[in-house]
Amino acid sequence: MKQEIRSERVRESYQKIDHPSGLTLLLYPMEGFSSAYAMLTTDYGSVDMAFRTDPKADFTRIPAGTAHFLEHKMFENEDGDAFAKYAATGASANAFTSFDKTSYLFGCADHFEESLRILLEFVTTPYFTPQTVSKEQGIIGQEIKMYDDNPDWRVLFNLLKAMYVKHPIAIDIAGTVESIAEITADSLYETYHAFYNLHNMVLTVAGSFSPESVVRITDEVLRPASQLHLERNFVEEPDQVAQKRIEQKFPVAAPMFALGLKVHPADPKTNVLRSIVNEIVNEVLAGDASPLYRRLYDGGLINATFDSETDCGKDFSALIFSGESKDPDRAAQEILNEIKRVRKEGISLEAFERGKKAVYSRYIRMLNRPDSIANAMVGAHFSGLGLYDLLEAAANATLEEAQRRLAEDYRTEYAALSVISPLD
Amino acid sequence: MNDRIKREKIGEGVFFTAITDPKFKSNRISVNLLLPLEEETAANRAIVPFVLRLRYKDCPDFTQLNEKLCDLYGAIVDGDVRKYGAYQIINLSVQSLDDRYSIAGEPLVQECADLACGMLFDPYLENGLFSEEDVCLERQNLIDTIESEFNDKREYAINKCLSLMFDGSPLAVKKYGTREKAQLITAKSATDAYHDILRRAAVEILFIGCGDPSAAEKVFSARFAKTQRQPVAYDASLPCVSAKQVRTVREDMDIAQGKLVMGFRTGETTSPDEVDAMKMMVALYGGTPFSRLFQNVREKLSLCYYCAARYDKASGMMMVDSGVETGNEQKAQEEILRQLELVKQGAFDDAELDSTVLTINNALKSTVDTLNGLENWYLTQILSGSDESPIENARKVARISKEQIQAAAAQITLDTVFFLAAKKEGQDQ
Repeated sequence: MKQEIRSERVRESYQKIDHPSGLTLLLYPMEGFSSAYAMLTTDYGSVDMAFRTDPKADFTRIPAGTAHFLEHKMFENEDGDAFAKYAATGASANAFTSFDKTSYLFGCADHFEESLRILLEFVTTPYFTPQTVSKEQGIIGQEIKMYDDNPDWRVLFNLLKAMYVKHPIAIDIAGTVESIAEITADSLYETYHAFYNLHNMVLTVAGSFSPESVVRITDEVLRPASQLHLERNFVEEPDQVAQKRIEQKFPVAAPMFALGLKVHPADPKTNVLRSIVNEIVNEVLAGDASPLYRRLYDGGLINATFDSETDCGKDFSALIFSGESKDPDRAAQEILNEIKRVRKEGISLEAFERGKKAVYSRYIRMLNRPDSIANAMVGAHFSGLGLYDLLEAAANATLEEAQRRLAEDYRTEYAALSVISPLD
Repeated sequence: MNDRIKREKIGEGVFFTAITDPKFKSNRISVNLLLPLEEETAANRAIVPFVLRLRYKDCPDFTQLNEKLCDLYGAIVDGDVRKYGAYQIINLSVQSLDDRYSIAGEPLVQECADLACGMLFDPYLENGLFSEEDVCLERQNLIDTIESEFNDKREYAINKCLSLMFDGSPLAVKKYGTREKAQLITAKSATDAYHDILRRAAVEILFIGCGDPSAAEKVFSARFAKTQRQPVAYDASLPCVSAKQVRTVREDMDIAQGKLVMGFRTGETTSPDEVDAMKMMVALYGGTPFSRLFQNVREKLSLCYYCAARYDKASGMMMVDSGVETGNEQKAQEEILRQLELVKQGAFDDAELDSTVLTINNALKSTVDTLNGLENWYLTQILSGSDESPIENARKVARISKEQIQAAAAQITLDTVFFLAAKKEGQDQ
C-alpha cells in the first residue's frame, strides 16, 4: 500500500509504503540534492528492559545496556563486518541507540543501491558467538568509561537518576561494566528476535535517490516477517522525583547544572504534540528574548551554554534547562520562580507569537537536510504521526494551548536539580 | 550539483563570495575577519564578536535584539572565534529562513543583511567605547570559555598535545587567548581591538543559501567603502616542518579512562597534489571505520572505543587520539606506530585504497548538501588560496596513487606523545 503525504505549506511530499515484508518505508526524495541518507530503525531502545511475545508467558528481563550491545554486535556477520562491506561503496555508515530506538544508517553520494542492500542485509542477519560477545565487552567497557569522563553526559544522566524512581530512563544507555557482563550470545538472539521483527521497524530515506529502487531492493532482500505479538513491561512511575538534588564532584573548571521538570505522560502521540507546544513555552520562559534569560545572563548566572529542551518517549516526558553557572542552585531557583510567576500572570500574546516563530523556523530548517528529515520521520512514525504533523503543530499552536501546557506540565514541585561541581 | 559560486572584491582586502542553490530553505551570511594570531592580542580580539552580539546602535538593548530575531522567524545571530593555522578569525553570522517561508512575505534576506552590517559597523558605544557593563560580562564569559576547555578530557588532552608541539610559535596561540590576558581586558582595550580588526583584518564574507545575495553584497560594499582600511596581506602558504626528536609528557588526573594523543608533523606538502595525498594517507591510516587504526587498535586488540587520525594542513600536522585503559597506553602506542610503518612500506592492498577514495569522494560530494558543509569547504579553500569545488577535488583525489600515499606517509615524523592518565582506575559511580 502506497500513500503520498503532502505539505501545502512547504510544497513538498513523501511516500509511505507498507511493504509486504512488514517493514514500513518512508521515502522523501529531495530535488537538487547530491547525497542520500537512509536509516533502518527498530522501535527498541535502552528503556525496553522486559518483554514477552507470548501473552501467557512471563516477561523476559533484559540486562541494562543490551539494546546498545546488540547495536554494536549487528555489524558483525559470519562473512565479515558491515563496515568492511560499506568500504566497497564509500558510504559513511553508523548506528546509535537512544532511550526508545536503535538506528542503523548511512549517508552517500554514489552507490546508493549497493549500500541500501548492505544495510537491509546486515540488520536482518544476526550472528553472535561467545567469542564475539566477549570481545565487544572490552570495547564497550571503554565506551562506558569515555562517557564517565564526559561532564555533559554525567550531568544529564545524574539528573534522570534524580528524577525517576522506577523508570529505566534513569539507567545509562550503554549499561554498566557489570550489567553488560551478563549478556550472552543466547540472550542477544532472544532479544533480537523479539524486537527486530520487521513489523516493529521502519526504513526512512531522504535526499537524492529513486523511491522505485528502494522498493525493488526491499522486495529482493526482505522476506515477510512473522506476525508479531510484542508486549513491553511498562513501569508505573510516580509524579514525584526520586531526589530533589544530586551532585557529583568532577574535574571541571566551572559548575554545571541541569534542572528537570517531570511531566505526567499521556499516550506517545500526545506526548510529542504537547512537547512541541512546550518548546514554545520554553522559549517564552527561558529563550534568548525572555526577561529571565536577560536577568540570569546579566547577573552572570548563566552563559551562552544555557539551553532548554523537551524530551519525551512512549511513557515519559520531561523539560530540561541546563548550562554552566557559577551558582547552580541560585540559577535553578530563579528558573523555578519565573515559572511560578508566569503560571500566575499568564503568557503575553507577543511573547507567545515570538516563541512560536522561533520554533516554527526550527521545523522548517529541519527540512533543509536529508539526515534531519530521515531522523525526524522515524520519531514521528513511532509516535503515530507524520513528519508534517510536527511542522503543523508548531505553525498552528495557540496561546490557549500554551497556557494549558504551562499549567499542567510546568509543576515546580516535581523538579530535580543535578549539579556537577569542581573538585575541591 | 546546482551550487553557483561568485567571488568578488568589494573593498580593500574585502571579498564577498556567494554560493547559491535553490534547493535550500534558508540563507546564511558569514563575516570572517582574519588577523595573525598573537598571544598579546588574541584575548582582546576574541571578546569583540561576543560584545557585538549583545546589541548595536539601532537596537541598543539585548532583549530587544533577541525579540527582533524571533520576529525575523527565529533568525540566528552568532559571534564566535575560529582558528585557521596561524590566523585568528573573528566571525559574525546571521542565518534565517528564506523570504518564501515568511508568513506575511517579509523580506528576510534584506533585514538580515542590515542586521549583520549594523552589528559590525555600528556597535553600541558609550562615550566612544563599548559599554563597561557589556565588556565586564563578556570578559567573565570569555574566561569561563577558556577554562571550560578543561571539562572535556578528550579535547583537553588534544589541546595539551598541540600546545606542546607548537610551543613558542603562533600556531600554539589559542583562539580565545589566555586567561591571564583575558583578565586584563577593559572597555578601552576591547574597543581598540574592534577598530583595529575593522581597519586591518583581511575580510571574507560568505553568503550561502537559496536567496538573492545582491542586497547583502550592496550593503557590505557601501559600508566598507566608508571605512579606512590598511588590511594585512594574508599568507596562504603552509608550514613545512619535520620533527627533530620525540617529546613524551604524562599527566595524571582523576578520570576513568586514559587519553593518548600523538602529534606528528607532516613535513613538506607544497603542491595541492601532495596535500591531497596526505589527506588520503591519513584517511587510510586512521580516518574511517575500516582504516588501519580502527581495524587493528580497536577491532583486533580491543584496546579502545575510539582511535582516529586527523590531518590539519593549516598547521602541517597529523594527530592520533585514543581513549585507552591506563596501563595499556604503551601497547596502543606501539600498534599505532606499527600501522604507520606498514603504510609507509606500502603494506596495504588496492581494496583499502579504493575504499578510501570512495569514502573521501562520498564526503566531498555530500558537502554541497548543507549550508555548513559549503561554508566550511569554501572558507578553507579561500584560506588555502584555492577555488576548487568539492566535486573537482573528488576527481583529483581519485587519481592519487599508492606510491603517492607511501611518499606522504614517509614524510610523517612523530613529534609529541601526550598521555592523560587516570589516577584512579575504574571509579564508576
